[in-house]
Amino acid sequence: MIKRALRAVGLVRLVKYTAAVEQQKKAELRARKLAQQVEEVRADSRGWKAKAEEAHDQLKKAQATVAESAKRAERAEKLRVEAEHRLALDGKRKVDLVALETQLEESARELAFAREQLMAIEVKLDILEGAANVLDGRTRTVSAQRRTPEREPTV
Amino acid sequence: MAGPEPCRLSVGHPSVNPLSSQSDGTGVVPPADPFVSLVLTGRNDDHGADFKARFFRTLRFNHRELSARGILHEFVFVEWAPLSDRARLVDMVFNAIPELDPSVCQWYVVDPRYQQELSLNPRLVYLEFLAKNVGVRRARGRFVLTTNCDVYLGRKVLDAFARGELKSGVVYRAARHDLKLELGEVILDWPQLEDPLNLDGPPRRLKPPFMTGATGDFVLLDRMTFHEIRGFNEIYRVARIGVDGNFIVKALSCGVPVVDIGGPVYHVNHRDSYHLSRDVYVGREAEAPWGNRRWHSAGVIYVNPPTWGLSHAPVRQEGPHRWRVDFSWDAVPPLVDLKRIVLPAARLGGPEPGTYKYVSRS
Amino acid sequence: MTSEAGNSAPFLTIVVTGRNDDFGGDFNGRFIRALRFNHAQLSAAGVSHEFVFVEWAPIEKRPHLASVLREELRDLVGAELRSFVVDRAYHEALTLNPRLQFHEFIAKNVGIRRARGQFVLTTNTDIYLSRGVVNRLAAGTFETGVLYRAARHDLKAHIDVTWASWELLEDPRNCEIVNTIHPPCFTNASGDFLLLDTISYHRLRGFNEVYRTAKIHIDGNFCVKAHATGLILEDIGPPVYHVGRGTLHAQVGSYRENPGDAPWGDIRWKSDVVYVNTPGWGLGSAPERRLDSQSSFLEFDWNAIGPMVHLKGVVSPATRKEIA
Repeated sequence: MIKRALRAVGLVRLVKYTAAVEQQKKAELRARKLAQQVEEVRADSRGWKAKAEEAHDQLKKAQATVAESAKRAERAEKLRVEAEHRLALDGKRKVDLVALETQLEESARELAFAREQLMAIEVKLDILEGAANVLDGRTRTVSAQRRTPEREPTV
Repeated sequence: MAGPEPCRLSVGHPSVNPLSSQSDGTGVVPPADPFVSLVLTGRNDDHGADFKARFFRTLRFNHRELSARGILHEFVFVEWAPLSDRARLVDMVFNAIPELDPSVCQWYVVDPRYQQELSLNPRLVYLEFLAKNVGVRRARGRFVLTTNCDVYLGRKVLDAFARGELKSGVVYRAARHDLKLELGEVILDWPQLEDPLNLDGPPRRLKPPFMTGATGDFVLLDRMTFHEIRGFNEIYRVARIGVDGNFIVKALSCGVPVVDIGGPVYHVNHRDSYHLSRDVYVGREAEAPWGNRRWHSAGVIYVNPPTWGLSHAPVRQEGPHRWRVDFSWDAVPPLVDLKRIVLPAARLGGPEPGTYKYVSRS
Repeated sequence: MTSEAGNSAPFLTIVVTGRNDDFGGDFNGRFIRALRFNHAQLSAAGVSHEFVFVEWAPIEKRPHLASVLREELRDLVGAELRSFVVDRAYHEALTLNPRLQFHEFIAKNVGIRRARGQFVLTTNTDIYLSRGVVNRLAAGTFETGVLYRAARHDLKAHIDVTWASWELLEDPRNCEIVNTIHPPCFTNASGDFLLLDTISYHRLRGFNEVYRTAKIHIDGNFCVKAHATGLILEDIGPPVYHVGRGTLHAQVGSYRENPGDAPWGDIRWKSDVVYVNTPGWGLGSAPERRLDSQSSFLEFDWNAIGPMVHLKGVVSPATRKEIA
């Protein structure tokens, strides 16, 4: 009952008061410690935040680098594909070239053959033309000889 | 008085020749077979203005030089289609050259009808190489040199004969050195022939493999091979130009090599020579008296029939060492014989045969 | 050519056929040139040989080619040439196509049937043997039951072969085309080189005499038959040579629209279908009359000719497993 009456006027026993003060001191100490810890944590946190920011920056940079590398790789891949394509094209062109050269050689041979045959034909034509003219001459001579005086037109 | 019966010379005999080692029936025994027969052709027609004089000069010179070196030789002269209103060369030569031994001569006078019936070009008045074939077919020498009536044999040529080192199965060629027109009437001897100042232009060189260029002035080959090749082209009778070079293409196609004998022969330029007048007919080659020079003489060759050289012609002796080749249709080959036009063959190690040159046929 | 056949059988019989008809232009000249060349090379290589020439259905009023050969080849000593001139009536009785002027392969059968050599080479009159073929023949390393084939090299047409030599034949500048051959049947210009031992030729009974409507592809048909019968077919290696690409090549274009009108028969016939000739193949029982020491004439006799139509002689080639 006394405890209730004291509590009603806002008074406590000294022991409790002392204990409370002691507790208060401990709590304040703890609070100071906690505050210190919080501060430390805050400081840590700020540090970590900075680090995180730094890491974030680095991450961004790394990402940018990766992106850049990816682009380069893509470009390189494109170039590789292009180079392969060109190589294949070159290879095909080489094959085509060889085929063309073979065809050219074959055409040159056929042309040479054709020219040789043409030469022979032209020589034969010369002979035939000459012979035709000789025969023409002979025929005319015979024809002229066959014309008798009676057949000559009279005036 | 009727002359001796015409005799049909045997076909297929390598040397269709009225002269054999036996007596020819006139009591004259021909001399031993010569080392070289020089086959010439011509007629008394003032070709080049003074044909006779030029001919006699070279004949005298060549006979002298061959004899001086002890080279057994004969001249086989084919007087082709002589003009009826002119004296024959055979009737003049021994008076003109008294030192010429008739026994080293064979003279064939060929009936003009052969020219008329064989020519395929009315502008071609002298079938030079058919005439030479008549001579080649009847030559007796181990070697036969077809040349021309105005060609002087050079020293190295004569030396080659004298050494007797010529090979069978080889065509020998000699470059022709043309001498100035002004020398025409001068009697030439070694000092004039060999004086470089008398040359009309730089001396010709023979270019392998064909070594053509004035070929008709010097084609030397052993008689057997000449017969196997069957002489010059008798199928293409539309031109006489190029027929000599055509023989070289034929020889190479047959595997017969062509070699420079090592020295020149000499020729004095004269009016009407091809060398001096060839450009007169530029643009109208078909009108030239030697035929169209642009025919394919380098690319197309021939196979003469076995009757080449008028071997089927009746030959009648007119006197010692002179014969007349009378006309007979039996001796005239077909007007046209196209299967005898062939392409030259290549041979391993040999040159590229023939060349095609486009020429306008207009 | 010697007037009497040697007693010992030659190693090789070369069977060719033709007649004095100027086929292909200057047939006789081409034949004689090739024959002289081949004979010279075979003799130089020491190959004992004989030529059997079959003159099929000679042209009336022309000298027999057999007699022309006898005159032209008098200077060839040591070799043998036997000629058989076949009565025209055989051609008229045998042909099943009036456009066919010359039964080349029945003619060759006549020659095969009468060959004396251990081996028979059927070829053509304008074929030049190569150096390699001659050397192989000289070595004599051939087996029975093997049909040997050689590719034909066609030289340029109209080339001057009057002075034929190895240098000319082997110069590639003169070659226009190589008619390549491939297994299993090695056809393609096969009629120009078919070398087989005589016994095998007899076993096969020669070329097809059942199908007489064409002569084209009868040679290839023989190769199919040989293959179907179990013979080994082999490329001998070196070639043979021919001047030009041949009359067939020159004219085949003219008959593209109407192949049945061609003088060699219809090019489209089924030449993979083979045949069995009758025992009387090659006019085996034709009466022979001696013309001279080298030539005989086969007189016409209906008994020498089989039935006009012999369908049992038409058979499919047996399918064979290829031996690995």
